[in-house]
Amino acid sequence: MVTRRSVLAGAAGVAGAVAGTSLLTACSGGNDNGSSGGGDTGGPVSGELEIQYFIGGYGDAWWNQVFADFETANPEVKIVKHGGSTIHQEMKSRWISNDPPDLVEIEGAGISESQMVADGQLLDLTEWLPTVKLDDGSALQDRFIAPANTYENAVYSVPLIYDNRGTWFDQSWFTQQGWDVPTDLDSWQSSMSRIKQEAGIAPMATTGVYPTVFLTGVLYPAFAGVGGAQLLNALIDGDEGAWTDPAVHEIATTVQEWVKAGFIDPGFASLTHTQAQMNFLRHQNAYVPTGFWLPNEMKADVPADFEFGVIPTPFNEPGAKMTVVPEVKTIAVAEKAKNPDAAKAFIKFIMSEKYAADFARLSGGMLNIKGIDFATSKDVPAYLQSANALLSDAEKVQLEYMAHPMHADLSTPVGNALVSLLLGSTDAAGFVEAADKAAAAYRANR
Amino acid sequence: MVEPKGQRRLFLILSTAPAVLLFAVTVVFPLVTGLGYSLFKWSGTSGKRRFIGLDNYLQLIRDPLVPAVIGHDMFLVVVKIVGIMLCAVFFAVALTQFKLKEAPFYRVVFFFPQVMAAVTIGVLWIFVFNNDLGLVNGLLRAAGLGSLARPWLGDPAWALVSIAVPVIWAGVGFFMLMIVSAISGISSSLLEASQLDGAGRWRQFWSITVPLIWPQLRDAIVYIAITSLNGAFILVMVMTNGGPDNATQLMGSYLMEQAFTRYNFGYAAAIGALIMVVASTTVLVLRLLMRRNPLED
Repeated sequence: MVTRRSVLAGAAGVAGAVAGTSLLTACSGGNDNGSSGGGDTGGPVSGELEIQYFIGGYGDAWWNQVFADFETANPEVKIVKHGGSTIHQEMKSRWISNDPPDLVEIEGAGISESQMVADGQLLDLTEWLPTVKLDDGSALQDRFIAPANTYENAVYSVPLIYDNRGTWFDQSWFTQQGWDVPTDLDSWQSSMSRIKQEAGIAPMATTGVYPTVFLTGVLYPAFAGVGGAQLLNALIDGDEGAWTDPAVHEIATTVQEWVKAGFIDPGFASLTHTQAQMNFLRHQNAYVPTGFWLPNEMKADVPADFEFGVIPTPFNEPGAKMTVVPEVKTIAVAEKAKNPDAAKAFIKFIMSEKYAADFARLSGGMLNIKGIDFATSKDVPAYLQSANALLSDAEKVQLEYMAHPMHADLSTPVGNALVSLLLGSTDAAGFVEAADKAAAAYRANR
Repeated sequence: MVEPKGQRRLFLILSTAPAVLLFAVTVVFPLVTGLGYSLFKWSGTSGKRRFIGLDNYLQLIRDPLVPAVIGHDMFLVVVKIVGIMLCAVFFAVALTQFKLKEAPFYRVVFFFPQVMAAVTIGVLWIFVFNNDLGLVNGLLRAAGLGSLARPWLGDPAWALVSIAVPVIWAGVGFFMLMIVSAISGISSSLLEASQLDGAGRWRQFWSITVPLIWPQLRDAIVYIAITSLNGAFILVMVMTNGGPDNATQLMGSYLMEQAFTRYNFGYAAAIGALIMVVASTTVLVLRLLMRRNPLED
């Protein structure tokens, strides 16, 4: 059980114990010739460096700090910032006209790494990434918590932010009510049943406007828990037969039972993720499966006595490990970048323990770097320390990795079918059929 | 002095050239370009495009969602026409013929939604329909009708009907003023004469007012249809994003989803062509149905 004080001594963040299966491509050292596909760019850089980045739940305090520090460390470089909550829509015309910024952080609405790779807009980093060494001489890739996304074994982005979905609850409310924190599917369903009876509320909040939050927060861990990364990635790619796998039907049936039992908030379909999160803070619901941005995004509305608790979504059978499917937010160099050397130098600069610790302190999230001792930092939020500790416990948690995110052309119709399932308008068989049809259309359209 | 023919022609060309140029740049060019995009497979986010001929139109024919989406649009057209015209005509008659002292005040109040941005209207009505905090459910519960309260925008059976309410509310003001202006043009001697002949208010309305303002009513109905097919999707985007599960999806919002969420810009352009065809057909049908003027009967 994760509590405010359950910080494992010497956990050193998520180092070592995390089952970080690397998806390193078979690249044996690369050449350090400084060309656009290779080279470590360890030397000084100069010129203008344009960076496009998203400002959302994690805020921009960390970005402002790293920009200032990079310019201080590289006085010949001038950073041109393009940041905002709708920045990807604002910068679209630059990408269409083949005049992109040098670097792009792929997070938020209006951008798709899969589509950018398909359009040839991102620089192939397959040769360069293995050559990057940190200041202590260790290889950057060895320090990743989650590996880089791959597209047919090629790497086009660096995994920057280690994001997780978890199932959140109010620890102080649970303690007050005498509710146990679940550890598996059975205890979770019992908990929801008890909460519904005693508090008279629908236990689970979720968003119907953005159903992919439920897809990634509940169903992905469920799929990966029974079928591993193989099943998960087959579903993400819309492979033939993946969505009609009996395991998928079984998981959909479990969700169908939740709907019948009244576990899902009946008003969810019209709610955005922030509205669902607000209902959760107001104790209209007890659980909300969502990302690690939750505390930072809602910080202005958190009640004084609220205590965030988070666990991996407990879809596991009793005795089996909980499954976590990390979702990294990435940063990439444009294929047509004017200053790729400075772009790569910037990536190497920010992927450090110092900025990982700063990210936790300033944004409440985790950079994709191992070896951060959250346990000893008083600035790191307690829920993050606790979650970190749990993620480090290989006895209780297993990690399964996506090769890359699901394309919106598939996630949109699957999300629509999921809304119908959560509304009770369709059953598990109907959901599976709709998802399978969507996958077929997606394959035909690629 | 008789103007030479060539000089007159030159004058006409120079007089109309700016308008034609503006029309060409703002209407013809985007139309032709859009139709051109519909022949390509294009994500809309890069310069890379692949010519695929009519494949997007074949996909449009095979898309199971398209008939439902057209149906939703037609539903809103009908509901908007009936709702707006009933309210606008009633308010216009009340303001012009009931001799209300507060008429100027009511004119401002009824017209006020017209000056609000569509996004503002959408956000406002999201809160009105909110399941827990909204005005509608609050009033129902206060009146002891809590069993009728529901998540209006989250219920597939009620979401589109719920969106029709702000769509009508936002449109009444403009058409009310249009009809007020038309009614104001009716000579008062006609109404006085009919009153002397024993005609009541209803008879005056149907036999004098409606026939005399028929051209404005007809134009209002056609205009409502056009603006519904071209613009109602904005409220859908703000309030429900086409959900739940496409229950409120319109042609315009489906176009936006395909273009900007699913990166199928070429297919979205084909949907744009569909909107043009449906809108043109709808206007033609309406004009055909309303071509007779009751005044001629």
